[in-house]
Amino acid sequence: MKFNKKLPTLFLDPHLEYETIEGKVNIILSPSLYWVKRMLLPVKYAREAKKLLPSIFEDNLPEGKYNYYAYKQEDEYIVFAYSDKLIIDTLAMKGISISSVANIYFAQSEIKGIESALTINENQSIYIKDGILVLVPCCWIEESGDLDLASIQLSKHSIALEKFGHIVERKSLYKIAAILMMMIFVVAIEYFITAQKTATVLANKDDVFAVYNLKSTTFQNKALLKKYTTVHKKQEKIRDTFSKILSIKLQNNIKISLINLKNKKIIVNFTGIKNGNENQLIKSLQAKKLVFSKSFNKDIMKIEVNL
Amino acid sequence: MNRINPLYAGIALVVLLIFVLFNLSNVTNEYHEAKESYKETLQLANELNGLNKIYANSSQTKKSLKKILNHSSLREANIKQKTTKSSIKLNSESMNLSALNFLMGKLLNSTYQIHSLKIKQLSEIRVSLEMEIKW
Repeated sequence: MKFNKKLPTLFLDPHLEYETIEGKVNIILSPSLYWVKRMLLPVKYAREAKKLLPSIFEDNLPEGKYNYYAYKQEDEYIVFAYSDKLIIDTLAMKGISISSVANIYFAQSEIKGIESALTINENQSIYIKDGILVLVPCCWIEESGDLDLASIQLSKHSIALEKFGHIVERKSLYKIAAILMMMIFVVAIEYFITAQKTATVLANKDDVFAVYNLKSTTFQNKALLKKYTTVHKKQEKIRDTFSKILSIKLQNNIKISLINLKNKKIIVNFTGIKNGNENQLIKSLQAKKLVFSKSFNKDIMKIEVNL
Repeated sequence: MNRINPLYAGIALVVLLIFVLFNLSNVTNEYHEAKESYKETLQLANELNGLNKIYANSSQTKKSLKKILNHSSLREANIKQKTTKSSIKLNSESMNLSALNFLMGKLLNSTYQIHSLKIKQLSEIRVSLEMEIKW
């Protein structure tokens, strides 16, 4: 506890008043803030003794929620029961912020070897009786010294308060924590599964490139597809145009003398055009919804269809 | 106060949960994007493969053209062939209408990439033909 040696120590008692605290302090609890017993217990370690304490103190404690602490002293155990809420409320009542508390100790474990009684407030003193530090009214004891906190060497028997223990049960906290951890676990699992699925999909995509012998980039493939699509559309238009022109029933004297497909253009020459007989032909072409331009040269009508 | 404040532990768990949820959201988006990209690539590959087989399969085009041009109906047309790296040019100085009908029927009803075509009437029953098919 090298770190704590430098910190000032405060004796917390409900009947004492305190000045404003600056920085961290160690707290020694007055006997009025805990219950203590000295007893032989059939266990080897303090942690095992702690489990027995609720039943040991059962008949002595007022109704409420308590925490317990125990340590071994020679062959016996010194066992404690204390209420976090009572300590926190006392700290609050005395204007001591819980954040400025470094460690909390029991007077029982820290004040040892005193031969006479020590006054702790106007009305009460403490003294050791049968190894237990007890609180007694001042009038019971005639000679009483003062408590010198600076001379106390703090032990390792400090306790930690559950600041929220009185609001939420520890079990509930564990349940909430368990639920949160379960959710984290489930989400993490989902994360890894999704990441794995993503990797599989990307691998499948690479397989598609290999199987279909695609170009290395999507851009190149799209360009190639555009090229082939243009070719395909042009070929469809060529066949559609030929189909429309060749399906027209020509009048006896009209004949097709030239079909020329070149440079995205189909040119068809009809010969035998005279005396306005082209009108029927033009109507037939228009009926096929063919978009074309026409020109005449003697008895030849030339139509041009852009692809 | 040596014991860890349960509030801090709770906040840490909530922050961790938000962190993993955020990461899950990102990886889910990545997954959907990858899936979309895969579908798009597969569709592109199918379309490209189909069109590639039709318009860029030189050996198949040559093979089927050879079969058509060797047909007995076209023997008298004396169609000359000139093959280049990317096309084949067909030329007949004179062919009859039934040979022309046969040839055009075969070519137009199939998926040849007709690049150019010139059919010129020579007489009542004969025409000349120039054609280039690409791949």
